[in-house]
Amino acid sequence: MGVHLTSFQGSVTEAIRTAIVGVIADATVHVEGGGGHFTIEVVSPVFAGKNRVESQRLVLGAIAHLMKGDAAPVHAVDSLRTRVP
Amino acid sequence: MALDETTRARIEDLLRSERVVLFMKGNRHFPQCGFSATVVNILNEFLPSYKTINVLADPALREGIKEYTQWPTIPQLYVGGEFVGGCDIVKELYASGELATMLGAPAAAAPAAAPAGGGKALSLRLSEAAAKAMREALGPGDDEFVRLEVSPRYAYDLSIGPRRPGDVEVEASGLTVLVDAASAARADGTAIDFVDGPQGGFKISNPGEPPQVRQLGVRELKAMLERKAPLELFDVRTEKERAVARIEGARLLDAAAEAHLRSLPKDATIVFHCHHGGRSQAAAERFLAEGYRNVYNLKGGIDAWSLEVDPSVPRY
Repeated sequence: MGVHLTSFQGSVTEAIRTAIVGVIADATVHVEGGGGHFTIEVVSPVFAGKNRVESQRLVLGAIAHLMKGDAAPVHAVDSLRTRVP
Repeated sequence: MALDETTRARIEDLLRSERVVLFMKGNRHFPQCGFSATVVNILNEFLPSYKTINVLADPALREGIKEYTQWPTIPQLYVGGEFVGGCDIVKELYASGELATMLGAPAAAAPAAAPAGGGKALSLRLSEAAAKAMREALGPGDDEFVRLEVSPRYAYDLSIGPRRPGDVEVEASGLTVLVDAASAARADGTAIDFVDGPQGGFKISNPGEPPQVRQLGVRELKAMLERKAPLELFDVRTEKERAVARIEGARLLDAAAEAHLRSLPKDATIVFHCHHGGRSQAAAERFLAEGYRNVYNLKGGIDAWSLEVDPSVPRY
């Protein structure tokens, strides 16, 4: 992964949003949460023709680096929704 | 981390062993994570049996299954060897009715499967205050609606969002409320009110809601024991744990105690406790499902008892 967000100066929700927008074209990203738990909604034309697993895999792949390790900033994604605008 | 061949072969064997296989934390009777519990509750509605694999008991599988599917989280559901998804996807498929089809469940098992075409209409009531609060939350657009979800355990969720396939649409107090097909049967008859103020918010009441396990605080239990209130207190921990610490008057739930419990009238007051409240919640739910109506879980377990009621009971 080319982007390093471990030294990100700001909120984790911003880090999640930045990571997703960096990977998914024309994504509108809505992130809520804190304390390691987050709710994410991503709207992008990229999801057209993709099934749920493929769509969510794209998003989870984009934030994988934030979910790795025991002290990861993202402990759990409480809810993830992807849809086409 | 690359997936080693031994683990890959084990995973493939497991996926072939049964049609429906769930990699989860804990097991069907005692899930140890909320996401796993959600998927188990949904599957339980459709299937008398399916295979669960507890990844907490097997670190190689825990990492291996994530590599195998290229999916970073647990639980993971497989049907016929194919990866279906994690908790969110299972919830979506359940709500739209696709999961019932996928699992080959008879249509009757899917609650309110076909509201279209003359099915029983779903009724909801919104108070004026609730409708007003919802209108304010919705704003001026016409593609967003209030959505009501009722989980298999009758937890309620109100949110705002677009229409989704399979939704049942209900008109109440001039508003359109969306209810997913799976929630619809449980949502019928629900009344929603709104109360202003710091303790306020939406208040939901539902006459169709089945009895729930009630949570009992340690101080309340102490008071009940002191006034000799009629109750049966069971300890669902192991004998080893009882040797370390016990609450006076609590009976180990062994075979004899279980036989005694089953001889009690269904309206008896029954309290379960364990170390922290997780195992006793599971036990309480099991007996609730058998028809006992006054079933309590001791919140915080014997640990809370030691901390708040009787410091002479050792903590462990």
